[in-house]
Amino acid sequence: MTAQLGLPASLALVGSALVLGAYVVEVLDHAIGRVVSGHFEPVGRTLTIPIHRAALLLLQQTTTTERPDAPLWLIAPAFLAGLAAAGLAIVPLGPSGALANVEAGIVWFGAVGALVMVAVYAHGWAPNSVMPLIGGYRFVALALSYEMPLALVLIAAALPARALALPVIVASQADLWNVVRQPLGLPLYLIAGLGLACRRPLDFADSADLAGGTLVEASGVARLAWSAAKSAMLVAVAAIGATVFLGGWLGPWLPGPAWVVVKTLALLALLVTAGHLVARPRLERFVVIAWVGLIPLALVNVFLSGLLLLL
Amino acid sequence: MDAVGAALTVSLAGLGGWLLLRWVSDTLNPACSTAPGRAPFAAGAPPGVHAWSRFHARYYTMALLFLAFDMEMVFMYPWAVVFVREGVTALVEMLMFIVILTLGILYAWRERALEWA
Amino acid sequence: MGVRRWLAGLAAGAPASVFVVPGRGAREKVDELRLDSRLHFTESPRATTILLLIGEIPDALASAARSIHDSMPRPRATACWRAGTSAPVPSGFPDAVMVDVREEVGTVLTRLQSALLRGDHASEPDLLPDIDPAPWRGVGPHGQGGKGMTGGVPYGRALAERAHDRDGLELDQLPVRIGPLFPPLPAGLVLDLKVQGDVVQEVSLGDNPFLSFDAAVVGTAAGPNPFELALSQPVPISVLELARARHHLVWLAGALELHGVAALGYRARRLAAEIAPERAGAVRALGRLLEGTRSLAWGTAGVGVTDGASLAEVPPGPVSRAAGIARDARTSDPSYLSLGFEVLVQEEGDARARWRQRLSEALQALELAGRAAARWSTPSGRVEAPRGSLTAESAPAAELVALIPALLPGLDWGDAVTTIVSLDLDLEEAASRHAASAV
Repeated sequence: MTAQLGLPASLALVGSALVLGAYVVEVLDHAIGRVVSGHFEPVGRTLTIPIHRAALLLLQQTTTTERPDAPLWLIAPAFLAGLAAAGLAIVPLGPSGALANVEAGIVWFGAVGALVMVAVYAHGWAPNSVMPLIGGYRFVALALSYEMPLALVLIAAALPARALALPVIVASQADLWNVVRQPLGLPLYLIAGLGLACRRPLDFADSADLAGGTLVEASGVARLAWSAAKSAMLVAVAAIGATVFLGGWLGPWLPGPAWVVVKTLALLALLVTAGHLVARPRLERFVVIAWVGLIPLALVNVFLSGLLLLL
Repeated sequence: MDAVGAALTVSLAGLGGWLLLRWVSDTLNPACSTAPGRAPFAAGAPPGVHAWSRFHARYYTMALLFLAFDMEMVFMYPWAVVFVREGVTALVEMLMFIVILTLGILYAWRERALEWA
Repeated sequence: MGVRRWLAGLAAGAPASVFVVPGRGAREKVDELRLDSRLHFTESPRATTILLLIGEIPDALASAARSIHDSMPRPRATACWRAGTSAPVPSGFPDAVMVDVREEVGTVLTRLQSALLRGDHASEPDLLPDIDPAPWRGVGPHGQGGKGMTGGVPYGRALAERAHDRDGLELDQLPVRIGPLFPPLPAGLVLDLKVQGDVVQEVSLGDNPFLSFDAAVVGTAAGPNPFELALSQPVPISVLELARARHHLVWLAGALELHGVAALGYRARRLAAEIAPERAGAVRALGRLLEGTRSLAWGTAGVGVTDGASLAEVPPGPVSRAAGIARDARTSDPSYLSLGFEVLVQEEGDARARWRQRLSEALQALELAGRAAARWSTPSGRVEAPRGSLTAESAPAAELVALIPALLPGLDWGDAVTTIVSLDLDLEEAASRHAASAV
């Protein structure tokens, strides 16, 4: 599709998907938070409050610390946003493909998941301040734990497609979506995805017990960019999940891209709701659960899917 | 090469956009850097030392375990593509490999290598 | 300038970003303000536009607030609400905007933020002098402030020193002084920590800033604290028990915010504000939800375990009852006995047992308040306050604060904060009896 659209149009599309996606996540987060807290407000306010907050942050000065790693600090949010864009760009919107037709789409997204660790760690290291530093190191422990389940459930989805490309994986779900064929896949993927997007309840890097973790020293537009990049990453997680497990563009009545958007929004709502209802576990507890629970389950998922294919 | 070129363009365009935004914001709010304004946050008292240090990443044993599994994952990507063609052989061979690795997890768990505090 | 005005117009709808400095008599006021959706309470000064001083600010807190102020990004301002106390205007904040009435806080702060962003209200300059923490410029072969890798004070600060660790390695140990204004922890708590990796190795308590007051104030502007009153005179049991339920729910709200479920925390806060025996069903539903998702248990089980030996000095209260010590001052009050009061306990003594204990005590309190009718408490010089047994000479918070140095070493950062919050500390209460005995 890159060839059909041309590079400038593709760039504009990915850019607006990032910004719009981050906005949608903020609105969903605010709206679902209000429902959970039982504290309702006019819909118009819910729709505009992310814009008000963004304008406030744009008007704030971007402060610095005594001896930061300034280039690293400057680039970290852009790096995370770039990874979100890399994830979004490979989501196929229809049979003709995605903005970037990557043959090894699953390996590509696994690489995105691994590089997020670099972005978050850099964001924690750069300010030379204790809370962000601990947040960054914590995220490495989290990332080493979510990386395996994430890759394994995606590999399981590649088995019936006999390919690593996302369009082929979508096409392989024409008869039966992977969410039914591999019932363990989507839940495991969503748990790993919450870690990948550094969202509640797995927001160990930016959590309240560190007074905001890697965000402690971020002000103004730097804070805005980091929060938006995290939200955009959640959109990428949901979009890939909708593609791999919910049949992507497949569906009656609506055109393909509309189905991708609808399914992505549904997964986003699920992820955001989990963030408002589920408290953050202890980090060590999560690490043990990931290694002793999630990874073996993901392996069971791979081999059961394989066995069913051969029968 | 086409994909690499596109990725490079996207990265440069994104970085350019971000630097432009930073520039606009810094123009609206000229930097005003003073010693008390630069002090890292420590909830009231300025910190005694730099935060940068030889940080004790206590989960290093878990990180080593991850390395083993990361390699296994690399093997599994091509395996997934040829799985149906190779059939039972592929299943059994990978299963043997994984079971051995999984025993490693259980051993690490028993040795409390996954906990550090 | 057109862009700035346009953005300022857009930002006018944003909640005011406020960093709170709660002084004496401010605790309950802050809890009320947290229900105001026009205010956004920030965790870090870097996200803040307005520093809000509430109540009577002790000197140590004021000096911490000044350094918080200076790390806030411009445009920034200070506001001061004396919260009905007769506190003097805090010195050292020359440009502070005064707010007089509770109802005006939200309006005044949002207007102040808008004016700051439009440029109609001048951003405040630094309060502290622009001096490096230690002279370093031009020192050393590269002007980096030191010689070699670790000598000197590059950029005005020293580097961490190595120290022995329990797994036999020698790695850097960061001395971290945290507080008195660390948002996850009770205001005024100052801890000197030695942190290696994310594990707390050594802990010592800093001075309690509220000790600098030379006279105890019983109760706050909202009305005298019913538990303090009950020391010397009969108080309706329904009043005491509703106050207890409210206290525990407000504590629960803070704990939920710490564990990342602020929306549920808001629900607890609302229940606390509207507390009445009829709300027991809603409190029970919240408790079922917390048990049902299991997640709060995953964040607190096995954390900060206390046992009989460590609790020997602590007066009976929710913390000791959560560790299975079935003592409660209410058992010696005939009015409570006539209501069929029974002591509730948990066994584990960890942070999970403590939140379960407080939640079940809140429910019990609502139930007692509903049945108390016209019963009044019997003064005996000892009252079961929400944090524990209160007398004219001792307040439970002081002994609870003293538990910290023994509980924290060996815990990772998250568990350490969870442990401190689960003790329900209040530095103002901890200082109250000390001040009384000093007079």
